[in-house]
Amino acid sequence: MKPAEMFRHMTRIREFEERVKRTFTDHPGVIRGHTHLADGAEASIVGSVATMRPGDQLVSTYRCHGYPIALGSDTSALMAEIYGRATGICGGYGGSMHLADPERGFLGTSGIVGQNIPQGTGAAYAAQLRGRGDVVLTFFGDGASKQGAFHESLNIAAVWKLPVVFVMENNSYSAGVRTDLEDANAAAGEPLATKARAYSIPGVTVDGGDPLLVHETVGAAVERARAGEGPTLVESRVYRLSAHGNSIAPPGVPLHYPEHEAVTKYGDVEEYEAAKRGDPVPRFRARLVESGALTADEADRIAGEARTEMQAAVDFALASPHPEPAAALSHVYA
Amino acid sequence: MTGVTTREMTYAAATNEAVHLEMARDEDVVLFGQSVAGSPDDPFLKAFGADRVRVTPISETAEIGMAAGAALAGKRPVVDCTMAEFLLVSMDQVVNEANRFHYMSGGRVTAPLVLKAGYGFTAGWAGQHTGSIYGMFMGVPGLKVALPSTPADAKGLMASAIRDDNPVLFLHHYLLLLEQGPVPEGEHLVPFGSADVKRPGSDVTVVATGWTVHRALAAAERLAADGVDVEVIDPRTIAPLDTATILTSVEKTGRLVLVDQATRHSSVATVIAGEVAEHGFSALRAPIVQVTALDASIAYAKPMEDYVLPDEDKIVAAVRGVA
Amino acid sequence: MNADQARSVLRTMWRIRAFEERVGRLKRSDEVHGLIHLSIGGEGVAAAVCGQLRDNDVVYSGHRAHGHVLAKGAPMPETMAELMGREGGLCRGMGGSMHLVDVAHGMLGATGVVGGTVPAALGSALAARMRGEDTVSVVFFGDGAVQAGTFAESVNLAALWRLPVVLVCENNGFAEFSPRSAHTPVERVSDLVAPWGIPAATVDGNDAVAVWEEFGRLLAGVRAGEGPALLEALTHRLRGHYEGDPDRYRVAVAAEEWQERDPVLRLERTGLERGWFDADEAKAVREAAHAEVEDAVAWARESPWPTPELASSLVYGS
Repeated sequence: MKPAEMFRHMTRIREFEERVKRTFTDHPGVIRGHTHLADGAEASIVGSVATMRPGDQLVSTYRCHGYPIALGSDTSALMAEIYGRATGICGGYGGSMHLADPERGFLGTSGIVGQNIPQGTGAAYAAQLRGRGDVVLTFFGDGASKQGAFHESLNIAAVWKLPVVFVMENNSYSAGVRTDLEDANAAAGEPLATKARAYSIPGVTVDGGDPLLVHETVGAAVERARAGEGPTLVESRVYRLSAHGNSIAPPGVPLHYPEHEAVTKYGDVEEYEAAKRGDPVPRFRARLVESGALTADEADRIAGEARTEMQAAVDFALASPHPEPAAALSHVYA
Repeated sequence: MTGVTTREMTYAAATNEAVHLEMARDEDVVLFGQSVAGSPDDPFLKAFGADRVRVTPISETAEIGMAAGAALAGKRPVVDCTMAEFLLVSMDQVVNEANRFHYMSGGRVTAPLVLKAGYGFTAGWAGQHTGSIYGMFMGVPGLKVALPSTPADAKGLMASAIRDDNPVLFLHHYLLLLEQGPVPEGEHLVPFGSADVKRPGSDVTVVATGWTVHRALAAAERLAADGVDVEVIDPRTIAPLDTATILTSVEKTGRLVLVDQATRHSSVATVIAGEVAEHGFSALRAPIVQVTALDASIAYAKPMEDYVLPDEDKIVAAVRGVA
Repeated sequence: MNADQARSVLRTMWRIRAFEERVGRLKRSDEVHGLIHLSIGGEGVAAAVCGQLRDNDVVYSGHRAHGHVLAKGAPMPETMAELMGREGGLCRGMGGSMHLVDVAHGMLGATGVVGGTVPAALGSALAARMRGEDTVSVVFFGDGAVQAGTFAESVNLAALWRLPVVLVCENNGFAEFSPRSAHTPVERVSDLVAPWGIPAATVDGNDAVAVWEEFGRLLAGVRAGEGPALLEALTHRLRGHYEGDPDRYRVAVAAEEWQERDPVLRLERTGLERGWFDADEAKAVREAAHAEVEDAVAWARESPWPTPELASSLVYGS
């Protein structure tokens, strides 16, 4: 994938997430339940997904909007899913936390921290059995690395030499709690990639704000996995620019997106402002324009197209019908 | 609640008040979990300090296993497990360790701990965060299960749960968190295994739990206008389950409608139906009717969500069918 | 290790050996029933670890717990009676071989689920620290348990909160029926915990003196409040995974080689060489252990069966 194309997908993800967030104020009540945004992680997502070839697959957590966008899923169907409509990519059964697009390799998510890690590991076992050199990317957060499921999965992947790349998007917050309050490595000032030592697999840490660096690092891990040499743990350092998720409240209380926990919980405005200054999307734009890979006009055109695309996605989703009530009993069994 | 001073407060605040009072009363009570001590201003943290009030990593298995070990060593841990489904991650610790220590040791040890978790968040949380999965815990030997429906019961059952010498699963209902109600001041204990008649009546017995108690009470008001007098019973704890109160009511009414937010085949309703069919058959003048969630996961979209859940209309129709 | 300590450890080891061999025979005659895991070959670890603990230090174990229970001080007659399912047993016959508990001697629990007691030991350690005591928790588990999620979750928390717990892994090279290499690429459990930076050591579990010295070193740090530690003892499980296991997945150790490795005989040889005891003393210890086991069996046989009603009377604590 060319750098300009990476920038296009990063811009699309950012625009999509901003439209999801705006929905809480523009169209109150349309999005129900719990929604988690990927803003800030676009470079990491796009750089990682760009390493995939047809036949490769990925699984993710409930913070899952970015991956299918980078994979080319229809953003109107994604938005419709988040709005709970019959035209949604999962027919309104899944919602924000449970997107899937298996035809493009996105097998699905888990809404429970860490529990998709064994699922991605199992998909890699299937890929190994298929014997075509396919690789599975398993995305999760830093909090998930305190789950037994993480430990259990990395161990098995290592001993079975499974073609899986464990991409840990470390945003320094395990849900709302700073990671160094929860993680013995973080508390000791060590990178979380250190954990790979426990499984005798490579563990690398990369600046998740640089899509080319992510692409190179995850790409090397993917090639290693394809060659049958087993899994790698990639710690991608990102900063989530929104709160963990929208507010949690019983029906009747309007939902909204609070400020980031750095501000609301720890009073660290400067940390958050510094993260905003390092925002990977404008950072990459400036770099491409400076290097001549993209003109400012082209970058603006890409941004404009993304706005148009996501406006259409919102319009489509709003105009879409709700599912038939009795559809609730479909798909109980395959 | 005559003779008792009460205050209006929410179900959530009443639950927290019980934990707070018990922690003040007994220094062995400790509180930990992923959403505990969220800020330096957290009232539990301020009142009881960082040793007794601790945030844990996202490690359910270790959290609940540690609760069991601390309990064996004399503490009374309250683990805030956030959502009932998160218990599934650590099911072994819930249904095969803490609950069995006492029994397997021949009564030599006890594991008094409270697992506090929310359930039934049928407000667009989709398949994995909306379940009413208590049915899979009610048959677990040694484990008690409380399902409060009112702020007063939430306070009283939590206090009893903390004082109980057994592992207790205290399930609060997410849709009730902001419901207001009168709550007794100071010490307030609701005994386990004691059902509450929320509305007396003579024609039909309706048994409901948690959020469905309020749907049943609303249905009863509508039916009263038609001249059908419904008695609404809330078991309050489903393990132990007070079948005596239900059987006494059925002796009087001869008709039984069971309302449950759980999927039909993993519901309290099914268990009660079996008990009444066996022990109250001669009193029945109509078949037992169950108004439960349908056997499906909870879909994200609201129309489908509503379709699978019990509601006021379904209860009214069921009662009319037997009255 | 000094002479007194060596005599004490040898005595414990012979008591466990004699007990386990007798239990094996009782199992074959069905006086002991159910699923039985013997610790023959692991006596040195149980004796050298528990021999350095106080009564109010807490021990947890797994399914292969007989040796730990005896070494921690549980009376042998009650232990035997529990295995025979009698009312006089440690747990009134409710627990059996895999669920031995003896609160009076700090043996708080054993589990039939691999790794199940590791977090429980952390909880007891937390409780002890909150009471301001310098007691420690020790949890015994096999190398199979370290692949369970509970293990990683527990090590992280123990390290983060600096809990007074010693994790003692008896690495016999087999997780139930398959070799360690089938379960993990990490050969040494002490390497597995390296990322968390806690003190860890691997010793020859057949060498009770080495276990004593290494555990003592780690225990001192843990008791002093320096946080958790892990001891990995490499052992050999002389019997199958359980009594009745056809044990077709392992190459048997030749009898002569086992004479060399057997931890009980090895401590005897070392003790004789170093003058800790003489041959007569060693013989007396061995004979006393066998006599004690026979007394325990006789006592257990006299103990009544529990009444059936007990099964329903202990469901809740109160």
